[in-house]
Order: sequence, then structure tokens, then C-alpha cells
Amino acid sequence: MDEVRIGVYVCHCGFNIAGVVDVKKVAEYAKTLPGVVVARDYVFMCSEPGQDLIKEDIKNQNLNRVVVASCSPALHEITFRTAISEAGLNKYLLEMANIREHCSWVHHEKEKATEKAMEIVRMAVAKARYLEPLEELEVEAKKSVLVLGGGVAGIRAALELANYGFDVYIVEKSPTIGGKAALIGYIDPKTKGAEVVSKMVEKIRDCPKIQVFTSAELVQLTGSAGNYVAKLRLNPRFVNSRCTRCGECEEVCPIEVSNEYNFGLDKRKAIFIPFKNAYPPYYAIDYRVCVKCGECEKVCRYKAINLKEEAKIVELRVGAVIIATGYDPYRPFKGEYGYGLSPNVITLFQLERLLDPESPTKGELIVGNKVPKSLAFIQCVGSRGTTLGAKSYCSRMCCTTAINSAIKIKEKYPEMNVYIIYKDIMTYGSDESLYEEAGKKLINFIKFEEKIPKVTISPEGLFIDVFEYTIQQEIRIPVEAIVLSIGMLPPRDIEELIAVTRVSCGGEGFVREAHLKLAPVEAPTKGIFLAGCITGPKNILESIRMGSAAAAKAMSLLSKGKITIEPMIAQVDEERCSGCGICVAVCPYSAISIKSVNGDRIAKVEKALCMGCGTCNASCPSGAMQHLGFKDVQLLAQTVAALRGESYG
Amino acid sequence: MNGSVLVVGGGVAGIQAALDLAEQGIEVFLVEKAPSIGGKMAYLDKTFPTLDCASCILAPKMAAVLRYPNIKLLMNSEVEDVTGRAGNFVVRVLKRPTYVDWTKCNGCGICTQKCPVKNVPDDYNLGLSNRRAIYIMFPQAVPKKAVIDARYCMRLNPPEKAKKEGKTLCGVCERHCPTKAIEYEQKSEVIELKVAAIIVATGMELYNAKNIPEYGYGVYQNLYTNLEFERLVSATGPSGGEILRRSDGKHPKKIAWIQCVGSRDVRFNHYCSAYCCMAATKQAILAKEHLPEVQCTVYYMDIRAFGKGFNEFLERAKREFGVRYIRGKVVRIEELADTKNLRVVYEDTAESYLRVEEYDMVVLSVAITPNSRLPLPVELTSDGFVKLKDPYLDPVSTTVEGIFVVGAVAGAKDIPDSVTEASAAAARAALIAKRSMAREVRVLANGGVLNG
Amino acid sequence: MADFEPKIIVFACNWCTYAAIDLAGTSRLSYPPNVRVIRVMCSGRVDPQFVLEAFADGADGVIVAGCHPPADCHYIEGNYKAYRRFELLKRILESFGIEKERFRLEWISAAEASKWVQVVNEMVSDLRRIGALKPKLEVD
Repeated sequence: MDEVRIGVYVCHCGFNIAGVVDVKKVAEYAKTLPGVVVARDYVFMCSEPGQDLIKEDIKNQNLNRVVVASCSPALHEITFRTAISEAGLNKYLLEMANIREHCSWVHHEKEKATEKAMEIVRMAVAKARYLEPLEELEVEAKKSVLVLGGGVAGIRAALELANYGFDVYIVEKSPTIGGKAALIGYIDPKTKGAEVVSKMVEKIRDCPKIQVFTSAELVQLTGSAGNYVAKLRLNPRFVNSRCTRCGECEEVCPIEVSNEYNFGLDKRKAIFIPFKNAYPPYYAIDYRVCVKCGECEKVCRYKAINLKEEAKIVELRVGAVIIATGYDPYRPFKGEYGYGLSPNVITLFQLERLLDPESPTKGELIVGNKVPKSLAFIQCVGSRGTTLGAKSYCSRMCCTTAINSAIKIKEKYPEMNVYIIYKDIMTYGSDESLYEEAGKKLINFIKFEEKIPKVTISPEGLFIDVFEYTIQQEIRIPVEAIVLSIGMLPPRDIEELIAVTRVSCGGEGFVREAHLKLAPVEAPTKGIFLAGCITGPKNILESIRMGSAAAAKAMSLLSKGKITIEPMIAQVDEERCSGCGICVAVCPYSAISIKSVNGDRIAKVEKALCMGCGTCNASCPSGAMQHLGFKDVQLLAQTVAALRGESYG
Repeated sequence: MNGSVLVVGGGVAGIQAALDLAEQGIEVFLVEKAPSIGGKMAYLDKTFPTLDCASCILAPKMAAVLRYPNIKLLMNSEVEDVTGRAGNFVVRVLKRPTYVDWTKCNGCGICTQKCPVKNVPDDYNLGLSNRRAIYIMFPQAVPKKAVIDARYCMRLNPPEKAKKEGKTLCGVCERHCPTKAIEYEQKSEVIELKVAAIIVATGMELYNAKNIPEYGYGVYQNLYTNLEFERLVSATGPSGGEILRRSDGKHPKKIAWIQCVGSRDVRFNHYCSAYCCMAATKQAILAKEHLPEVQCTVYYMDIRAFGKGFNEFLERAKREFGVRYIRGKVVRIEELADTKNLRVVYEDTAESYLRVEEYDMVVLSVAITPNSRLPLPVELTSDGFVKLKDPYLDPVSTTVEGIFVVGAVAGAKDIPDSVTEASAAAARAALIAKRSMAREVRVLANGGVLNG
Repeated sequence: MADFEPKIIVFACNWCTYAAIDLAGTSRLSYPPNVRVIRVMCSGRVDPQFVLEAFADGADGVIVAGCHPPADCHYIEGNYKAYRRFELLKRILESFGIEKERFRLEWISAAEASKWVQVVNEMVSDLRRIGALKPKLEVD
């Protein structure tokens, strides 16, 4: 091997690092480390001039390893890899020393932080000495995408992808696509949720590139970007496309359950159509509640029902996955603001159903058993840490939705007294016009802060006691109906989603994106994209735009038909391998097999299957199996450097 | 070949759109009126709610723009006129002179140290510091090239006396430039581009706070806009990150932020500017990090903490940093003659009378206004934002086919939303560009057959 | 030994714990600077030999940290492999006379920045209490 020539670049990151760590001292110290020929500091290493410093040194000083002491590799490893490769160095001859997230941002004592930063750099330099050039692998990529979730975000993504010429599979767990947006009466003063959704669904119907799987779940996802294998379970619908929606089956069905598509406002049968414009446009049997009495099958004149249908497993090969499985509405507990104790206390989602002309009340706002003379919205139910068990975040859409609905109510029932009891009105951006409009419509806004409103249910009626913050007075409002503006929760089955797709969650329980600001539609795993409320509360427009963006990113990844995969995978030293086969047993991807080479048993790694976890390396008794980029010698060098400051080897 | 796309505006949205297009192999013209790309984000110290440094997430993207040979930067330029239609737009771009040949300039910066005109207000620091008449917009500028500000250059705009006498003055930068890049004779030029699609990413400006006389912006010394404050706390700012009062160069002990300055106000702009509540919260935290003893107060109407991690950030500001939030409309600000301190007069909604509190620094959280006065046939909303054709069924499309809009010019929004839209629009535009290119290839091929 | 500052080596998996340590930074949490983090792709990559080597070279404590069982592991079951190896190693360490406070196997998800801080705080205070690792194998 050539002489090791390492350049060390210490970033100030403005004050982020330099405010705590003495960066000059770190750079000076780095110069004393074995193998280091140059060390510099600069205000922003990741900026163009910073990168140029590194590139110039590679050329002028013949560097063959680079250590950048700055932020987490999660943020800028790719940036600096690209930079050094532009200067002609193999991009894997880079090591990042994380002195920001792991040092300057968590330690405040300057001396100790500087000392730690010096040691982190020492560790990185020690590892860098053992880095080797690696070559990326190129594999074929499938021009097809799996879209999980058939709400507006997923539908938008599918339509975009089909437009780019990709094959798209939508996987929706319920019997219809459309999601919750289809159930929102009005999503803005002029637009009905159901209308927008049915226009989108029409396009899906007319698009041969899109295949829709309803009542379906993703049960297994293997492979990697460009080449995923998705195993779907298609739960039985028991009704096929011969169904004419005549409805006779529904009449004879003896099973009645709460109708989740009207948020429990009414009941539905076990055989049902979720809503008017549901797609596919025929009946479905809820396999979870059906008792298979056979009445529907008997009455169906079109032979559209087959109760013997069973769940099927389907395997799809796709290049990328877009996760757009949305959210669940917050579930208020019994007694929360009187919820569940009075028929006059409903949720915002139930109100949305009532305002829909297709609702059980045909658009009449009947709460309990009549149109109330007065109605109050209580905001932040389940959000902003307001009530017991509430989430810490703002659910983003509830203020606008409540105000929009209040305006609709006032248009229809001008005499009704409408109150909105809130903490802060979150009509951000252009939605502010709705807030203004609500004021003109004489909707009453009542603000509270720490002290949460109290709902009393008495024979005299409903009362809300609230400490009105702007006038600093306790007031009591008698109302005939209360609407709880419930927020958003991560979907109930997010655990299964995590288990299957290996995405991870942030503290609030939603899926974490690769970067909150600059990569909002990408998951940290290459080939997995995110759209809509799965990453946190959004409104419908924002979800739709995310759908477009996620599709664009997936398209960009796959459009060349080829994809590069990281070369940090397992490699066998055939001389050392004894063919014991332990690695074969531990490999979670069946990427290793034992081959006979000139009569010797030797492990062989199938490069395209190896995901680079390194568990074979840890279990190899002879040290023949090595995880490239994380070889024993590299990790031990780091360990020793952390403890002794001497070189390893 | 007409397979290219024009991106108007080099802020974070425009950069993202250009990068996504370039990745697709599409030729991109990125037009930016300033001498560097980066937009408003380049002015920011940190971003909410993670307090990530803005430069660290923006600068690498800016650098990446240079890496694609198919991104053609048209700096110091503005679109003058657009004709044609989707697949075949003809765009005229006015390129203003930089008086420096950028093919020769290597950004060494010697000229910017030698230029004798030292008292030019530095735009990048919003006039809080001075630069020379020849300058590089900021150290991390992309491209990193020098520009002469003709208004201040002694050679290009000599004093009346010299003009009359017909004397040629100065020439210092020309003498010192190691690459002979200075071109005093450079003129504006009009460049004609043929593009298949256009992405409008012109972003926003801050509302001019001087239009609100009762606040005294531009008159009172220790009154700043939030963007000025951002420069003040920035390591690359006028005082290297020291928060100092303009009047006496001392650290402030009490700072107030006034929200909704020009927003949510029927006299100015009806809309909410969406970024300012979190920006003020962030700035109050930064102030506390720089000056642990400082007392921070935010005057607000409603706190808009709607995005991912926002409400948690707000709670942290209150609990961990002791930032005080007062709900009240600020009626006016008065400057005290002796101390140059500022008296904030606000309407205490709780007691419904006016209260007064004294601060030694006040920051105005100023509204944004869209940069939508464009020579494009697109329709605008009543608030002046670029109108979307059908936000539900055709997001990011304007009322003109083939012209897309992303970022704050289509409505007040923060960075992730802008970036999201940029990627979506880039894919749409790429499709038009590719189809247009394919059509042209077909036409050429057919022509070949016919002629042969 | 009031001034004793233990040194702790941490093997952190890239997807969960390393991300949690990053999150502790972006959230500006605070913890003692006694830890040195070595990034591996998966806790299943950590060879028990690394832990022994760390103790032999003077570490006062070692943490191996990865994704929560059952299903958080980015590589399906690397965390289980780590679990099996290190439960065994714990017993071996004890037989060497290395106190149980000196080695921890932790599951810290990408969201659990505060758990990371808690683990570091606990271990640092434990080690301050029991002092430096006495080199048992030292000759003379």
C-alpha cells in the first residue's frame, strides 16, 4: 500500500462547533497524528469554498485519505464523498468525525468539549488509515412502484408515476381507495372532499398503468432500492365485479356494526359500500364481522358473491415504495369534554360527515335529534398537550377545518350561535382569510390558555365553563351541541408498518424523514419515500403535494433503469475461510452460500443480496468474513485510538 | 434542441428544482437576480425547529448546482418577457453587467480588499455593515465571483467634477486583478432562451416596515427587522455573531419581538406569513444562547406552531429558555431620547387598556410579500400570490400550461413545503421537456426520411 | 476518587442509536463528555472481541446499543444476534471480575434521545462510584 497521507478538515459550522470547541486547537492537534499531512479549519466546510479547500489539498498534497470533522455523517457524508471523488479520490476514503451532534451541541464546558473533539478526530484518523477504496455496484432497477395507502397522497403519487410511464400498485387496507379526505364535507368553502376524491379516482380508473389492491396489506418487504419484493395479503372481499350495486344483499344481511365511514354516526351491514363514490364501485363483505350465514349469496342474482373466497398472497417486484398510509383521528376517551356521555357531543369528523349532502342526515346538521340552536367547537382535543393524554404537537388542520365548517354552518343556519373555543387559531398562510370571514359571519371566538374548558352535562342542557383569556374572566356558555376538534394520531397499525418496511419513528410517533427540512419525502432508507400524514399532521393540499414530490423522487431514483448500491457489504478472504458455514446461518438475507472451489469449501457472498449489516463478520471464527468499511481492523483502530491514543496494528 | 427548462429564482426552491431536473439529464437555465444563488435562506443563521444551521443544509445544495454541467446559471439576471406555449416558450432574459468577466474571475477576493470605496452598505448584511464597491456577495456565494456595484464605483460613476473634466478615475481593481477579469465596459445583454417549461420560484421579499409609521422602523436605532436580527446573530454577520445595539454597541438586556408586522392586518396584508411565529421563537432562543442573561419577550396575536416539531419548540422556548409570550397588539413604539431604548405600547387584551414596557432592542417580525410582479402571463390571487390552476388535481401548475410555481411566491410557507413543491414541479417540467425533445427528434427524423 | 472521569466506549448502530445520539445533539440535550462513539451499521456487527479489546485497552465501561426488539432492527434480527452474544459475554465478563456496571447492552430507538442521555448519566455515575477498571491481568 502507498504511504498514508491524510488531510483533516475541522469545520466551525459558524458558531455551532466553534462556539464551544477550540477548532484551531483541534486542527493543530490533528497535524500531530500519524499519517496526517495537512489539517485545516474553516467556517463552513460543506460550502463551496470549504469543499474547494479539500479538493485543492487532495491534488496539491497528494492526499489519499480525508477526515472531515464536522457534523453527523447522516447529514453530510454524501456531500464530502462527492467532493473528494471530484478531486479524483475514491469516495470511500473519507471518514467523518462527528464533533457537532456528538460534541459541541451536547457539552458546554469548552475545555472538555475540545478535548473530546480532539479524541473523536484521533479515532477518525485511526480508522482512516485503514480505509480502502471501494467500488459501487450497479444493479438493474425496476420501473415500478408500490404505493401504500390509497388516500389523496397515495392516489396523487400513483397518478404522477403513471404519468411518468411507471407501473404502479396501490395497496389499500380498506375496501375502497379515497381515504379520509373523501369523508370531509367541505375541504375549503367551495370544495367538497368527496368531489375532489372522486375526480382523482376517475383518473385512477382510466389509467391502465395503475393496479389497485383493496382490502390488502403489505406483509413482507425484502430486497433493496431498485429491487424490492413485496408480499401482499389480499383479504377476501367475497364480492366480485359482477356486482351491480342493486343492494338486495345489504337488505338481507343480519349483521349490523358501527359505520366507520360515518365515524360511528350510523350503522352499516357486514356487506356494504363504504360511500357513494367508493372504488372499486361494488359491495364488500367485512370479513372480520361476517358470520357467513349465506343470505347474501342466496339473494344475489348476479352471482357476484362467493363466501368461499380466501385470502391470497401476491408477490410484486417493485423498484421503490411510497408510504402514504395517513393518520388516525384522535380517539377521545369517554368523558373527555363529555364525549360518549351525551349524544350532543360529537367529533369534528362526525360533523364533517353531517355537513356532507351524502350523509345519513342528507347534509342536515342534526345532533342528538334536532338541529341545535347553538354549537361550540372545542379546539386542540388531543393536541398541543392540552388535555390529559394529548399529543404534544399541533394537528395543523383542525383550526382551519373547524372554521371552514363553522362558516358553512352559518351559511346554512344563520341564526345558530356558533362558538369556537381555542388556544391559538392556526389559520396559517392564506387560510387566514377564513378566520377573517368567520369574524364577519359573527362566529364567536373564545380563547383559553392553561386552564382547559369544562363541559357540564345536566338536565338543563350542556354548559361549557371557560376562563376567557382575553378578558381574564370565567364565563359559562350554554350550548346545544359540542364539536370536539380532534387532532391526528399516527395510524394504529404503524407498528406493523415499521416491522415490515424498517422505517423508524420520531418522538411524536410519526415516521421520521431523511431530513426534516431538505428531504421531507424521503425515508432514511434508499428507495422508500413518504407522503402525507404518515410523517406528521398535514392538510389535504400539503398531502397531495407531498404525493407529487414523493413520486418525483421515486421516478428520479429509478428512471435510468439502473441503481448504484453501497459497496459496504461483506467480503470473504478465501485464503482464511474454512467453509464452516456459520455466516450462512446468521445472514438474514440468505446472501451467503458455501461453494466448492478446487475442492475447498468456501463462503461466497451474493453482492446484490447483501445489505451490509456485518453480522457475518461478527460471527466469523477465522476473521475471513469482513464488512467493508467496518472491518475488524478499522473498528479496532478506532477503539484503541479512543483509549490509548496510539496507533493500532 | 428544445428540451430545456427555465427555473426563475435561485432560492432553496429554485435550487432544488434545478438539481432534480439536472439529475434527470435535463438542461436547466437558472435565472437569479442577485450575484449568488441561495435566496433568503442564505441570510439565515439557523432554522427552526431543530436549530440546524441554515448554511449547513443549504450550502452543499448550492455547491451541487455547480457540479452539474447541464445547469446554466444566469446570474444578475431577470426575465423580461415570455412568449410561446408549453413545449415552446421563448424567454428573453436581461443580464445586467457585473463588470467582471466571470469566466476569468477565480473569486480570490483581492479586488474586494483593494477597492478604495469602503462605505457601501453591504446588502448581504442588510446595510448593518459596509463593503467595497467591488464585492463578492458573501464568502460562501455560488458562484463565488466578484461584482462591481456601479452606483458606488468611482470609475463607473465618477463624481460630477471628474465627469465634467472627462477624467478617468481609480482602476485599482483592474490593476490588482491577477486574472485580468475586470471589464468596465461590460454592458447589459439580452439573452434569448428556448425552453419547454418554466418553473417560477421567485420567492418573497420582506414587507417594507417603513410603511407602518407607528413603529418607527428606519428611524429608531435599536429597532430591527427579523432578517436584520438574523444577520446580527449569525457567525458570518456584521459583528461576527455578537448581538450589539446600533446606538451604543452594547449588548441588549431586554429584547422584544413584535409579531404580525404587516401580516393579518387589513391595512397591509390580510394573510398570515406563516414563518414568523417560529422564526421569532428561534431568534429568542438564539438570543438566550448568545446572551444567557437577556430577557426575551414575544408580542403575538395567535402563536402559529403548526408544523412538525413546532409546538414542542415553542414549549421549549417557554420552559427551558424562559421566553415570555404576551398576547397583545402593539399599538406603537417610542424611542427614548437619552438611552435610545424603546418603549413598546401595547393593548393588553386582558385588561383592555394600553400598557407600556421598555426594551433596549426590538425586533419586528415582518410579513412577506410575494415576488410575483413577473413578466409572465400567469394569474395572481387577490393577495398577489401566483395562482394555482387546481391545487387539488394539479398541484404546482399555474393557470398557464407548462408554467409551474413553487415556494413562497405561491403562498407563505416554510422550507420543507417549498422543497417538496420544487421536486414535484421538477418532475412535471421534466416530462414536458422530454416529450418536447422526443417530438423534435421525431420531426427531424421524419424530415430526414421525406428529404431522403 | 472524586475527580475520576471514566472513559466509555459505545458501539452504536447506525439506524437507531447513532440517530438517537444525533437527535440528542439537535435537541441540545446535555450529558457528560465521557463517551466515545463508534458507529457500526448494526448491533449485530459488534464482535464480543471488540468489547474485550476495549476493556484490555483501558475502557472503564462499554455500551453496545441497537434497535429495540422485536422489530425495529433495520436488518431484521441483528439486535437478537447482539442480544444472544452479549448476554453470554456478560457472564464471561463477570467471571473475569469485571463488574456488571461496566457493560451495558441497550436498545435505544432513533427517537429516544432522552434515553441515551439517561443511559450515559447512569453509567458515568455508576463508574465514578466504582472507580477505574483495575487491570487484573497486569504482571507485577
